[in-house]
Amino acid sequence: MKNVLDLLIRPARFFAAMEGKEPDLKVPALIAIVGGIISAITGYAMSGLYAEMFSGTAAGEGMGMFMGLMGSIPAFFGFILIWWVLMAGIFFVISRILGGSGTFSGTLAVTGYGLVPVIIGSVISALSLLSYLPRVTVPVIRNFEDPAVVQKAIGELMQDPAMREFSQVSVALSVLFLVWSANIWIFGVRHARRIGTREAAVTVLVPVGAMIVYLLVTLVGGIPFTGGS
Amino acid sequence: MRSTRRVFILLAVLVILLPVSAVEQSQNAAAQVMVTNVTIRPQVFMVGDTGTITVEVINNGAQSVAIRRVTLYDESIRVESHSYDTTQYLGAGNRMSFTFTVRADVPEGIYYPTFSMDFRDAGYLRYPVKLQVQDQPLSVSVLSKPDTFTRGKKDTVEILIGNPRDNAVSGVTVYPTGDGIEATPTRFFIGMLAPDQAQKVSFSLTPSESTVVAFHVDYYNGMNAHTETISIPIDVGKSKVQAELLVSNVVVERSGSRYTLTGDVTNAGLEAANAVVITTGEGAVPADPYRQYVVGTLQPDDFSGFEVTFTVEGERTTVPLLISHKDADGNLYTATALVDIPARSPAEEKGERPFLPLVGVIIACAAVIGTVIWHSWRKG
Repeated sequence: MKNVLDLLIRPARFFAAMEGKEPDLKVPALIAIVGGIISAITGYAMSGLYAEMFSGTAAGEGMGMFMGLMGSIPAFFGFILIWWVLMAGIFFVISRILGGSGTFSGTLAVTGYGLVPVIIGSVISALSLLSYLPRVTVPVIRNFEDPAVVQKAIGELMQDPAMREFSQVSVALSVLFLVWSANIWIFGVRHARRIGTREAAVTVLVPVGAMIVYLLVTLVGGIPFTGGS
Repeated sequence: MRSTRRVFILLAVLVILLPVSAVEQSQNAAAQVMVTNVTIRPQVFMVGDTGTITVEVINNGAQSVAIRRVTLYDESIRVESHSYDTTQYLGAGNRMSFTFTVRADVPEGIYYPTFSMDFRDAGYLRYPVKLQVQDQPLSVSVLSKPDTFTRGKKDTVEILIGNPRDNAVSGVTVYPTGDGIEATPTRFFIGMLAPDQAQKVSFSLTPSESTVVAFHVDYYNGMNAHTETISIPIDVGKSKVQAELLVSNVVVERSGSRYTLTGDVTNAGLEAANAVVITTGEGAVPADPYRQYVVGTLQPDDFSGFEVTFTVEGERTTVPLLISHKDADGNLYTATALVDIPARSPAEEKGERPFLPLVGVIIACAAVIGTVIWHSWRKG
């Protein structure tokens, strides 16, 4: 418990305690898997809306399970691959450019630890989703084979007031907890890559900033961003 | 002189003897006239009927007969036509008919009006004619009818018309009358109805209200029109055998603002329910994909599953489920069943979204995260 608090509140102390030890990926992997499960749950809940949307077609009968799998499985692996492996890879590459050293497993470990705030944000986002879902009016697609009809229905779903509010709340939570994770990652990357604080900040803030910009753009553009954070 | 006297005597004898001989010859000839046939139309009169009696006579003799007057008379039966008062001859071997119009304003019974033919110089012929008067109308009865009629629904009423009379009646026609009744056929022509025979007639009646329908039977006894009427009450209500659709095994699930209602509909009546359609009524807004569910035909004791989807207006805990069907005549029947729907949370009932509380959460998270980050750098 003390370690978790150190990680969240005093990341410098947390990573300093790991100094000289071989990076252990079990805990970071567990964190990433928990995050993947929460993403999968969120994706499954969201898939219910799409299953309902397609329930008006002959092909839509019994589509709920398929949609659920299509929503949860990619969300699970997507979280692990994007938020842990890919993010660690980006950190590794940028820090390398900035003169960093150290192993990739070390970067992978600190990136995994840094996912804890993102997971907390995902939990809060998932809870807010559960309160918004009953309020979403889902348009029903009758002609599954007409792309224009499908696109129009999805557009209507995204323009639903409850859906729009949830998107705003979700993006706000994502940005906040991503900033918190970025703060941890800066200390982690500084430790794992043996670089200065400035270099570590650049290493982390470039991809995180890009991610935040992406989130805000999708929010303004009305493109949904569900799960992940 | 003597011969002249003889001639006178002979003439005197001739004058005395010749008329006596002529009268005898006339009487002999009249005796050969007889009634050969009597035709009465109608064969059996009803009280008050008017008809004809035709008497045919034949002269079987070798000499013609002079007829001075032919008449028909009776104390009770009124003869409405005149006598045959003109002297005429009935030639040897010839036939002649005499028709009289009579009216039977008498009680039921058998009467014998007398046919009388007066001959010139030869007496008369008297012949009593049997005339039966029967006060027995056609018998009209209801064979079958529904206990209860349904408004706008066609039901069958069977009428039996019997002829208990001793003679046939003609031109028998049956037709119903009554307010708020539509009948098919409007009139049924039977025609001749022989004695002791009966004819069954079916009418399809479609009432629009409770009323009394009268079945009239018009017929002719000879040339006399008669009418018999029988009335039956038409009570409009719920048919005992009509299809009755009951809903069971109802499950309502909510997904977002949309409800999905599934269940079974069973025909608990005795008639088939055609074109069964299920949808939601006032207070519920049908939504895709099952705004209404067409079950089709449900035979008695048959059942089918159904599914309807809808949203609700305002705060509701029940929605009306409308189950409509048509009978064999195309009449539409609609039954309503109230179905409980899952309650919504107070916030949902008010139509509120948790935006403001979540904004508070976000602000709190921002504050916490900001503090944590500031703290981490201060210590770091």
